[in-house]
Amino acid sequence: MPAVVARKERCPLCGNRFDAEGQGCRPSCPLATGCKVICCPACGYSFPQETGLAGRLRRLLDRGRASEETR
Amino acid sequence: MTPPAAGGAATRADAPLERKQVVSAARSVILVGNPNVGKSVVFGALTGKYVTVSNYPGTTVEVTRGSATLNGRSWHVMDTPGTNNLLPMSEDEQATRDILLEERDYVAVQVCDAKNLRRGLLLAAQLAEARVPFVLALNMADEAAARGIHIDERRLAEALGVDVVATVAIQRTGLATLAEKLPDARPSRFQPRYDDHIEAALAEIEPMLPSRGGIGRRALAVMALVGDESLRGHLAAALSGPDLALIDGVRRRLAARYPESLRFVISKQRLAAVDRLHDAVLTRGDRSAASTFARRLGAWSTHPVLGVPVLAAVLWACYEFVGVFGAKTAVDFLENKVFYDRLVPWSAGLVRWIVPSGAVQEFLVGPAGVPFREHSGFLVGKYGILSMGLSYGMAIVLPIVTTFFIAFSLLEDSGYLPRLAVMVNRVFKFMGLNGKAVLPMVLGLGCDTMATMTARIMETRKERVIVTLLLALGVPCSAQLAVIFAMLAGVSPAATAWFAAAILLVLFLVGWLAARVIPGRGSDFMLELPPIRLPQAGNVAVKTLARIEWYLREALPLFVLGTLILWGLDRVHGIALLERAAAPVVVGMLDLPKEAASAFILGFLRRDYAAAGLFMHYEPFMKAGTMTREMNIEVTVALVTITLFIPCIANFFMILKERGWKTGAAIAVFILPFSVGVGAAVNLLMRRFY
Repeated sequence: MPAVVARKERCPLCGNRFDAEGQGCRPSCPLATGCKVICCPACGYSFPQETGLAGRLRRLLDRGRASEETR
Repeated sequence: MTPPAAGGAATRADAPLERKQVVSAARSVILVGNPNVGKSVVFGALTGKYVTVSNYPGTTVEVTRGSATLNGRSWHVMDTPGTNNLLPMSEDEQATRDILLEERDYVAVQVCDAKNLRRGLLLAAQLAEARVPFVLALNMADEAAARGIHIDERRLAEALGVDVVATVAIQRTGLATLAEKLPDARPSRFQPRYDDHIEAALAEIEPMLPSRGGIGRRALAVMALVGDESLRGHLAAALSGPDLALIDGVRRRLAARYPESLRFVISKQRLAAVDRLHDAVLTRGDRSAASTFARRLGAWSTHPVLGVPVLAAVLWACYEFVGVFGAKTAVDFLENKVFYDRLVPWSAGLVRWIVPSGAVQEFLVGPAGVPFREHSGFLVGKYGILSMGLSYGMAIVLPIVTTFFIAFSLLEDSGYLPRLAVMVNRVFKFMGLNGKAVLPMVLGLGCDTMATMTARIMETRKERVIVTLLLALGVPCSAQLAVIFAMLAGVSPAATAWFAAAILLVLFLVGWLAARVIPGRGSDFMLELPPIRLPQAGNVAVKTLARIEWYLREALPLFVLGTLILWGLDRVHGIALLERAAAPVVVGMLDLPKEAASAFILGFLRRDYAAAGLFMHYEPFMKAGTMTREMNIEVTVALVTITLFIPCIANFFMILKERGWKTGAAIAVFILPFSVGVGAAVNLLMRRFY
């Protein structure tokens, strides 16, 4: 099954916020297992979810920004 | 508003302090605002700990309710999901619109991010249109000031006709003033005016609409005009059949006047009114020159004429970065310096050291002293897993797609990508193609397999089949597009023009044919155009990394599989057989070298793998600048054929599953001769006119 993490995502194209659960590739794609690409239900734009290394980098950057803002 | 019944467990005397409860209140306030503007912080500051969280009826959208005592008065407070539009595009937005529609006798607080006043004013304009009494909170005022943004609150309050309060909710600054102003909340006098045709249509249907509910008739009329499907239930409950038919008639007549959807036209005209107000009340400190330029650039990039040079400049920059830097400098370093000068000989040496000489060693890395391209070693050889599979994936395609992903992330983060979608959508609409059908095609640039799945949003089977065909035929995925950029950087500008002309001509032809077959008007499509801004390095890095992870996970195993197939075929002399079998088409019709047959076989696994094979073949000549006229023609013909060629295996399986095997087979049967036919036609024409 797709390796999509159930959380709110914001489409980088149309700005729509949607629940990522169920927006991954269907099992009919032979490469669906482990696939992180999700699809915006409003405009159809597909993009990989920021998980794994990218997710860790995002959290690191967010923490840096948050500590900068509280200073 | 109807607060949940007080009492029960929530009001028992022994209830702990943290117990969630809501008390009845004489007056109600609804918090509305764009996503991520600090609404929940305002809500928490107003209500304290006493809240309930429940799903809005019939949805999975969470709505938080609480109570507050403000200036000695008891208030029921409701926090709504963030929304950008009262014409809903998502379940969250519909929940907010329905709350405003269904609740009674409330006032609203619009929480707006002072750093992004334009987006907030777009919502304020709709609240004004809906005659919702509200107070505007300019939240995060401190951050806006730190960025040199100054908002003339007095002038904004005058223009809107409602109270405007600067707040920093996280520090509770301005919240006392906000609470003081709540009892005086009133409908705004700011009314965006539309063109005469729209105003006439609004005047015609407004009197028919119900006056009940929290949203005024004019806003309901606008929603009805744009054909908001989520409003249909509300209207059907309040209007007679003939009235509904009349509204539909007015809407259809009005829609026929514009090439774009009414949703787009109305939003655009409302945005123009908001922009005027925005520019009148907002000034920027030392950033004004830069922001003015960014605003102008944003406007140019969607302009029907000025947008073309902007698009050309963007494409040229991508071409230079991906095709020249990625495909030449980075590939040269990784392929030669890293793989062929070091990794491949080191690996071969390591295997020879570990594995004793004999049949096993020869099987893995070939006979000693023979260049690896001249033997059939399993790991290191002409079709070796390391020397071909991994080096294609890591040394040739990876640097090219990485530079492409960086360019793509820059476009995404700069705010240009949505504008590109607007431009392309306009071109396809000019051809008469259904807008809903265009989107999966245009946006299939990420992954065609995923885009094939999104063809489900088409209403009829015929539409779904045509969109699937167009996707499989002419829309390259991101990895293939990157390799195309790389190949084009090595040929002459004239050959690039031939390639672009051939692909565009095919797309226009199939688009035109599709427009004849797909009936109906374009469906509504709404994009929030963010301001053009300087991309942030952190965002670009995260987006690029996410794409590279996805690419490595999906593509590398297929590169290895493809190499295994070629290695197996080579062992049984199948490649020579295939090349002979394909020669009438590859050599006879397309005038390509016979080795190109292998590239087409690999193209079925991944099209970028196929293009990488061609890239390898012509790379020495491209680097040396010795590409002949013949080679320019060969590369162009091969690229045209592979771009239009049968979809990759993942996409093909998705087509079979989604559309059924008969349709899938029919699509493949059409595409195979069509792509070769177009390639042959380009070959003939180029040999005569190039």
